[in-house]
Amino acid sequence: MNIKPVVSALLRNRMGAVLVALEIAIALAVLVNAAFIVGQRIAMIDEPTGLDYHDMFAVTMAGFTKDFSLPSSVASDMAYLRSMPGVVSASPVGSIPLSGDGGNGVLYAQTGQHGNSAVYTTLQTDEQGMSTLGATLIAGRNFRPTEILPWSHAIDQAVPEIIVTQSLARALFPGRQALGQVVYDVRNRPMTIIGITRDFKGQVGAGTPPYNVALMPQLAGAFGGYYCLVRTEPGRAEAIMRRAERELAVRNTTRVIFYAHTLDYFKGQLDSENRNMAIFLVAVTALILAITCLGIFGLTTFNVSTRTKQIGTMRAVGARKRDVVSHFLLENAIIVALGVLVGCTLTLGVGYWLSRAYGMPRLDLYFLAAGVFILAAIGQLAAWQPARRAASVPPSVATRTV
Amino acid sequence: MLGYYLRLSLKSLRRTPGLTALMVCAIALGIGACIVTLTVYHAMSGNPIWWKNNVLYAVTMDSWEAARPYDPEHPTLPPWQMTYKDATYLAQSNIPKRSVVMAQLHGSLSGVAGQRLPVNALTRATTGDFFAMFDVPFQYGGPWRAEADKGPEPVIVLSKAMNDTLFGGRDSVGKTVVWSGHQFRVTGVLADWQPLPKFYDLIDNGPFAAPEDVFVPFAWTAIMQQFPTGNTDCPSTTKERTFRDFLGSECVWTEMWVELPTAASRHRFQAFMDAYWAAQHRAGRFPRPLNNHLTTVDQWLQINGVVSSDSRILLRVAFAFLAVCLINTVGILLTKFLRGAPLTGLRRALGARRIQIFLQHIVEVSMVSLAGGTLGLALGAFGLLAVRALYGEADQYGALAHFDPLGVAWALALAALSTLAAGLYPALTAGRVPPAVYLKSR
Repeated sequence: MNIKPVVSALLRNRMGAVLVALEIAIALAVLVNAAFIVGQRIAMIDEPTGLDYHDMFAVTMAGFTKDFSLPSSVASDMAYLRSMPGVVSASPVGSIPLSGDGGNGVLYAQTGQHGNSAVYTTLQTDEQGMSTLGATLIAGRNFRPTEILPWSHAIDQAVPEIIVTQSLARALFPGRQALGQVVYDVRNRPMTIIGITRDFKGQVGAGTPPYNVALMPQLAGAFGGYYCLVRTEPGRAEAIMRRAERELAVRNTTRVIFYAHTLDYFKGQLDSENRNMAIFLVAVTALILAITCLGIFGLTTFNVSTRTKQIGTMRAVGARKRDVVSHFLLENAIIVALGVLVGCTLTLGVGYWLSRAYGMPRLDLYFLAAGVFILAAIGQLAAWQPARRAASVPPSVATRTV
Repeated sequence: MLGYYLRLSLKSLRRTPGLTALMVCAIALGIGACIVTLTVYHAMSGNPIWWKNNVLYAVTMDSWEAARPYDPEHPTLPPWQMTYKDATYLAQSNIPKRSVVMAQLHGSLSGVAGQRLPVNALTRATTGDFFAMFDVPFQYGGPWRAEADKGPEPVIVLSKAMNDTLFGGRDSVGKTVVWSGHQFRVTGVLADWQPLPKFYDLIDNGPFAAPEDVFVPFAWTAIMQQFPTGNTDCPSTTKERTFRDFLGSECVWTEMWVELPTAASRHRFQAFMDAYWAAQHRAGRFPRPLNNHLTTVDQWLQINGVVSSDSRILLRVAFAFLAVCLINTVGILLTKFLRGAPLTGLRRALGARRIQIFLQHIVEVSMVSLAGGTLGLALGAFGLLAVRALYGEADQYGALAHFDPLGVAWALALAALSTLAAGLYPALTAGRVPPAVYLKSR
C-alpha cells in the first residue's frame, strides 16, 4: 500500500493528530511507570511472612492499680488462654509480629562493636514461644522453662542466650556456622546463639530488616504492659479472640485490655499504604487508557465522516473495502507510532525522575516494551470500528454531491 | 448577543450529543480525580495551626552520645525528643509566653468507682499551657490552673469521645473519675478537636493518629513512677535501672514546645538554651557539638517527612490524568468546530466579525466547561466519600478525605481555567475560517 496519500490526508488535520499523539505519549508514560510501581507494591504485599498469621491473634494488657502484680497476672492469663478450646499455643511476647510496634537494636559479631553488625528486632518470649509463632528450628535447641528470666524494670536486662532467624545469623556470620557463636549488643553484653529458626517477620519497624529477629528468653512486661500471642486451630482466631477479650477483662480487674487484634488485622494495616497506592494507580491508569481510546475513536470518526466523498471516489476507482480499512488504520498507526516514540522518552524521563527523587528502583525495560505493545494494540483497536464504517461507504457516493 | 450565542451553542452541542457527553465526562473525570488527590494532599501538607506558625517552636537539643549521631541517616539532626531533666529545666524559664513539656502515657479510666470495667485511656501527660498554646477548644469547663501543674493536683481533661463514653456527653466538670487507680477531678471536656497532621505528636503515634483520650498534669509521670508508653530512645551508655534513675538518665522521651511571640524573645530563649548547653557541657554532659533548635510548625512537619512520597506521586499522576482529559477535550472541540466550518463561513459571509465568531465559540466552550466542572465536583465529592468508605476513618487516607471549602474553590478555579485554556485554541481556529471557501461548495 502506498503511504503517500495516507500522509497527505494526515497532514490536513495536523493539530488533531498531534493532540492524539500527545495523549498517547502521556498515557504510555503513566501506564508503564504505574504498572512498574504496582508490581513492586504487590511483591511487597505478597512477601512471605513465615507465620500462620491467619490463625493468630494478640491481646495487649496493662495494669495500673496498686494491687496489680505482673507475674501472677501473666501466669493466670496464660493458663486461661492455653485452656481455651481451639487454642493451639499461647505465649507472652515482648512485641507482636507484623504490628510495627516493639524494640530493636544492633548486634555485633565481635566484642567492642567490631565485626559484622545487623539491625534486629527483639522478641521476648517463653519456652512455648517457638510453637506459638509456628517457627521451625533448623539448628540448635529451644529455650528450657528454667531459662526464662522474670521481667525487671531494668531498661537493659541482659539475656545470656538467644535464638535467631536464619537471616540474622547469615547477616552476622556470612558463610559460617552461627550456632554456638557469641554476639554482642551496643552495650557489649555477650549473648550465645543457641538456636537458629527458619525466617519469619518480626514487628517490622521502620529501618529494620523484617526477617532479622532475635528471640530472648524473658518475660516481657515493658512499662507495665504486656502482650499475649495466641495461635488457634485454622479459621477460629476471630471467634476465640472475641471470647478471650470478653472473659479476660472480667477475670482480672487490676488491669485493662488495650486491644485484641488478629494478626490478619496487623497484616492489613501493614499493607494498607501499598494497597492504597496500587488501587489508585490502577484506577487512574485504566481511566487514562479509556480516555485515550475515546480520543483516538473520536479523531478517526471525524476523519471518516469528513472524507465520505473521497472514500467514495477511492472505492469508485477500484479500491477494495479492505484497502479503505487499511488506509485509516495506517493513518492511525502513524499517529500512534509518533505518540509512542515521544512516550518512550517521556516514560524513561519519568522513570529516571522517580528513581532520583524517591529512591525507587530503575524502570525495568520489559515494562516499557509491554506498554508499547499494549498501547499500539488498543490504539489500533480504537480505530477499527470507524475504519470499518468507512469501508461501508458505497462507491456511488462519489457521483453525488454531498 | 450573549443570549443568541447561548442558543447557538446549545444547538451546536445538541447536534452532536455523543461528542458533547464525551467532553463533559472527560473533564468531569479529570477534575474529580484532581479533587480527591488535592484534598488528601492539601490536608496532609497543611499546617493545622498556621495562624501561630511563627510563634510556636519545637525545642530540640543534641543530648546524644559521642559515639554516634541519634539518627545515622540524618547525622545533623538532634533527637526529636528531650531528656526529662533538660525539658523540665528549660520549662522553668519565663522568657516564653507559654511552654509545654509532655509525654505519652497509658492509663485505665473508669467513671464513678466500681460502676463499670475500666477502659484503656491513651493519656497525654502535659503541662497546663498545652490548651492555650495550641488553641484547643473546650465543650465544658477549661484547662487546669497553673498551680495544678506544681502539686500536682489530681485534675484531668477529657476528650469529647471519652466524655461521651463515661458520662453520655453530659457536662462532667467537677465530677471524679478514676485514672490508673487514682481519683481525678474533671476540669474540662474538649470540643471536637483533631488537628491534622497531629503536629505536636509526630513521633509517638504518627501524623494522622486520633487525639488522646485524656490529659493530666505532666508532673504525675514522676509520681506514678510509670514508664512512658510513647517513643523512648536511650543512648547505648545508659546504665540506669530504676525509675528514679530513668528520670535522671540521658534517655529522650519528652516533647517540648514554646510560644515566643516576638523575634527578641526567640533570640533570648535561644541564648538561654545555648548558655544552659554550655554550662552542662563544661560539667561533662552533651558530648556532641552544640545543636540547639527552635523549629516552627511548618519546618517541623517538613523535616519529619509528614507528606508521604506516595501522595506526592499520586498528585502528579492525577495532574497527568487531567492533562490527558484536557488534551482530549481540545481535540474534540477542534474537530467539532472544524466540522461546523461551513456554517461559520456562512455567518462570516453574512457579516459576523472574527471576534464575534470567537466569542460565540468561547461561550460554547464555557458551557461544556461549566457542565464538566459541576459534574467533576460531584464526582470528586463522591470519590472522597468512596475513599472514606473504603478505608474507614482510622486509616490515614480515610481521615484526610474530607471535602474542605477551600478545596472546592480550588477545584472550581481549576475547572474553569483549564477548560477555558483548552477551548482557546479551537475557538481561535474557528474564528480564522475564511468565508469564501465554504460558500463555494454549497
